[in-house]
Amino acid sequence: MAAALRPAILRHLRIPVQTQTLDRYRPLLLSPFDPLRFSPLRSMSSHGDEHLTKEEVVERVLDVVKSFPKVDPSKVTPEVHFQRDLGLDSLDNVEIVVALEEEFKLEIPDKEAVLIDSCDLAIEYVANHPMAA
Amino acid sequence: MSMSAAGYLARRAAQKERVMLLYRRALKDTLNWAVHRHIFYQDASDLREKFEAYRHVEDLDTIDRLISEGEATYEKWRHPDPYIVPWAPGGSKFTRNPPPPEGIEIVYDYGKED
Repeated sequence: MAAALRPAILRHLRIPVQTQTLDRYRPLLLSPFDPLRFSPLRSMSSHGDEHLTKEEVVERVLDVVKSFPKVDPSKVTPEVHFQRDLGLDSLDNVEIVVALEEEFKLEIPDKEAVLIDSCDLAIEYVANHPMAA
Repeated sequence: MSMSAAGYLARRAAQKERVMLLYRRALKDTLNWAVHRHIFYQDASDLREKFEAYRHVEDLDTIDRLISEGEATYEKWRHPDPYIVPWAPGGSKFTRNPPPPEGIEIVYDYGKED
């Protein structure tokens, strides 16, 4: 009896599939060692599910530029041009772009990297990059 | 005269771009060779000094020769197994586990559902 019912029941069983959504603001508040920071959801995937907010990108880009040794941190604003406003030369510009690549775990193609010469371009590039983390 | 001035400027611009590209590649390659961060800092500083040594060279042909030498040195010392960001082509997670598009649901027993 039970064996006969089994396929009939199984055929009508539907488990609702839920998509877990990540609270993307949560990880920011946690310490780097908090286990909640590393969600079990797609943790082995190369695609991060948390996307950066624009504010976070701005903050981290400015942090990178401010910590560059030759830069006066008080002059750094989101609109600043590396060579015109900060008095850097072209090689410093290259160094900043490489530092930004490391900060956001990006691989910027050479042709695009040489075009990034100001904070707002860098912010725009990183904020629009799907892999920025 | 103005033609040659324009030609001069164009050549300088091309050289500047070549130097920036060479410095960028060399700097990233330095990171590939350095096992530790503190080694990298010293190596990167040395690399920068090598470039700075020729900062005031004005002669176009000399600059071209120096850039070619630099590029040859870079090619010679290129790391055979450079670090590649995991998602990038050649990286360890390239094309691995791409996310399904939004709104796609898995249908088990396709064709047998009622």
